[in-house]
This record gives sequence, C-alpha cells and structure tokens, in this order.
Amino acid sequence: MNIETKSVCEENTYKLIFEAHSKSLFNFIYYKCGDIEQAEDVVQEAFIKLWNNCSNVIYEKAKSFLYTVARNLFLNEVAHKKIVLQHKLASAPDRTDETPEFLLEEQEFMIRLKKVIADLPEKQREVFLLSRIDKKKYSEISEMLNISVKAVEKRMSQALVTLRDQIGNI
Amino acid sequence: MEKYNQDDTFLARWISGELSTEELNEFKKSKDYALLTKINDASQKLESPKFDEQVQFQRLKSKVFNPPKQDKKVIKLVPNWAYAVAASVIITFALFYALTAESHFKTGFGEQLAVVLPDNSKAQLNSNSTIDFKSFNWKNNRELDLNGEAFFDVEKGKSFKVITEDGVVEVLGTEFNVIARDHYFEVRCQEGKVKVTSIAANEEIILLPGKAVRIINNKAERWEYNVNEPNWLLGESTFYNTPLSQVIIALENQFQINFDASKIDLSERFTGSFTHKNLKLALKTVMIPMDIFYSADSNNKIILENLND
Repeated sequence: MNIETKSVCEENTYKLIFEAHSKSLFNFIYYKCGDIEQAEDVVQEAFIKLWNNCSNVIYEKAKSFLYTVARNLFLNEVAHKKIVLQHKLASAPDRTDETPEFLLEEQEFMIRLKKVIADLPEKQREVFLLSRIDKKKYSEISEMLNISVKAVEKRMSQALVTLRDQIGNI
Repeated sequence: MEKYNQDDTFLARWISGELSTEELNEFKKSKDYALLTKINDASQKLESPKFDEQVQFQRLKSKVFNPPKQDKKVIKLVPNWAYAVAASVIITFALFYALTAESHFKTGFGEQLAVVLPDNSKAQLNSNSTIDFKSFNWKNNRELDLNGEAFFDVEKGKSFKVITEDGVVEVLGTEFNVIARDHYFEVRCQEGKVKVTSIAANEEIILLPGKAVRIINNKAERWEYNVNEPNWLLGESTFYNTPLSQVIIALENQFQINFDASKIDLSERFTGSFTHKNLKLALKTVMIPMDIFYSADSNNKIILENLND
C-alpha cells in the first residue's frame, strides 16, 4: 500500500500521470475543437502548468487539475474545426457471411455517422464520444466536464436523439 | 410517444446498460430501437486521432525538465527600488533646474536682439551684450543680469531690476537704456521713472524722462538728452560728453574691429553720434571732430593717433 502521497514534482510520478491521462485529455480536447495540433498544444500546456504548480497539486488531484486547466485554456482558444474520426481498422475476419451489398451499405452508414457526429453540438458530441470511443463512465465524464452526472446523461440522450433524427435525413 | 422520448436520460441509461429488464424489453419493441442500436454499434467502431504519447512526452520534457530548476529565483539586474531612486533624482534635478534655470541671451559683434521677457516686457540687446534671468516666478521677481547695453520697455508690475556689476537699475514700468560694460555704467531714462543705485558711487539716483546718468571715477555724472533723438535702436549710437574709451568700445562692438588706442587720450569726452550702417562714415564722424587720425595696419587694427602731435 502506498500511503505516502506521491509528489507530482517527482519526475517518475509526473511521467505516470502523463501516461495515465494525456491520451484522454487529448481526446477530450479534440472532441471539442476537432484540431489535432491545438489539442496537442493544450495537452502540453496543461502538463506544463501542472509541473509549474507541482508543489501545490497533490497526486490525487492531478487529474482534475489537468482537466480544469485544459477546459480553461480551451475557453481562451477560439478556432474550431470539424472533427474527423477514423474508422477503427478492426481486424476483419478473413471470410464473412455478409453480402457485398450489406458491406457497402455498412460502409455508407459509417460515413454518414461520422458526418452527423461532426455536426453534433459540442456539448453533446464530447459526451457521446467520451462515452462511446473512450468508454468513460458517466461519472468520469461528469468529473472531466465539471458538470453533474444527470447533465451528462441528458446530453448523452440528446446526442442519440439528434443522431437518430439526422442520420435519416442524409 | 415512446417512453425514451419523454425521459431525457432514458437513452443514456440504455447505452450504459442501466435499464431494467422491463424497460429494455419495451424499448426493444419500439421502431427506433434498430436504428439506435446500429448507431451505438457503429459509433463504437470509431476512433480518435492518433496521439503519440512518447513523442508528446519528449516534447513536454524538453519544455519542463530542461530548465532544471524551475523554482530558481530570478534576481533582477536592476532592482525595482533603483528605478524609484532614479526617478526621484531626475525629478529633483528637473525641479532644481526649473527653479534655478537661467535664460541666457547673448549678442555678438554687430548684432542686436529683441528679447521678450515672461511678462511681455521687452529687452533689446545692443551688440556684444548678454542678459541672464530666471523665468521661474518671473512676475514676482523681475530681476535680470546685464553685461553690455540694452534698452528696456518694462510692463507695469512689481519692481523691475537690472543688475549689473556696477549697480542696480530699478523701475516700475518704463523704458530706459542701460550700458554696463567694463566698469562703465550709464543709464538713460526714456519714459517713466528709474531709480539707479550705483555701487561705486554709493548713491541712489532717480531719473525722469530725458535724464541720464553715468558713473565715472566713482562719481555720478548727470545730463539731459533728447528722448526723440535717434538712438541705437534706430541704427545710430548717440553720445553726450561720453569718455572716448566708451565710444571706441561701442565702435568695436558695432563693427567688430580693433583699435590701437595707445597713442590717444581716452579720457577725452565725445558728444555726437555714429551710424551703424557704414564703418567709414562712423569713423569719420567720431574721429575728425576729436582731431584723431586713423589708419589701418597690417593686422586689420585701426591705429589712432592725435593729429596735433
């Protein structure tokens, strides 16, 4: 048991925090702004701030510190782009029972879905993607966004409704 | 209306598998279930852009760890208080300068200069003269230092003093002329009333218009002159019973020439005037009545000799 509180100023601890949270943080920002470079910069910036304040931030609070800083940094950034998501290169089985028509249809559906997601309002999109891609629990998302779980659930439901309505319209 | 359309967290709970069996069974019967399931399944096949943790950490490292001691104190090369000191020193000097600064005006050979003093009084400098005065608080302290010759037109106000090495001229709004040069001190009152204090003669003299005084050999000599006759301001210097030495100085200053006056008697008196416009004419009008012969030598010096000798 590690009762002793780890100091964020320890290089190793700092690295652990980076490994644990940098990717989520990056996704979180990317879902907001759709700009890879900007998201990377915000991650850098947030971690620099964490290092500069390492003596004031206890290990347990590092995560929420990072998200708060990232959110605040993001408030100052203005540029928003359409997010571009990749289709996971799932190791497709060699053979499939599905017909070529079905596969084509499937592919079309994916393209439509990506477009509709990109068009979602930012608040709905970030919740939806954090849940579906990053597999975050609602409680985790509520912590990241600094909103209530209930609000996360509402946004999630709204996102699904919007997607359902929009995907038929294309 | 289906239930999930009314309950605004229903779909969220469905996604996270929090629905009760009944709710789920009912939901499965709805027309949107298939589409929503498809959306849910498909969206989980999406992925976010690549984020290279290694590269990003290296990038971060170079920014964070390279300046190894981030809590190193920055000591300013110039401490803050130094600026305060510098500023106060400058202010002190500026104030000192403003309070004591003297305005300085000087004319060279053959030059004249009109100086307007802070209260609109005018001082006209004849050639080769200087005045100095302090602009600060001029209205309450109208004093100026004079060396040379100047004509003053003084606005009404508190006492106006012209301080020279040989005496002080004090007035209350008037026009007057002062010559104070090489221990020669002469004052002519053009208008108003002038009080002259001679240091050498240790005497106070009050001059009315047309009256003049000069101090020679520690004695005051008074005379009268015509205030309407042309004076140096109009391009002519006039003298009344003036020692030749002063006339020669006036000539020298006006025309930037040098006299060798070693062979004549400088204490002789001259009455008359000379023009500023023409050196030859000026020399003639001064020297001929005085029976002085003048000739230029090789160094552009004008040698003066008595004709009688």
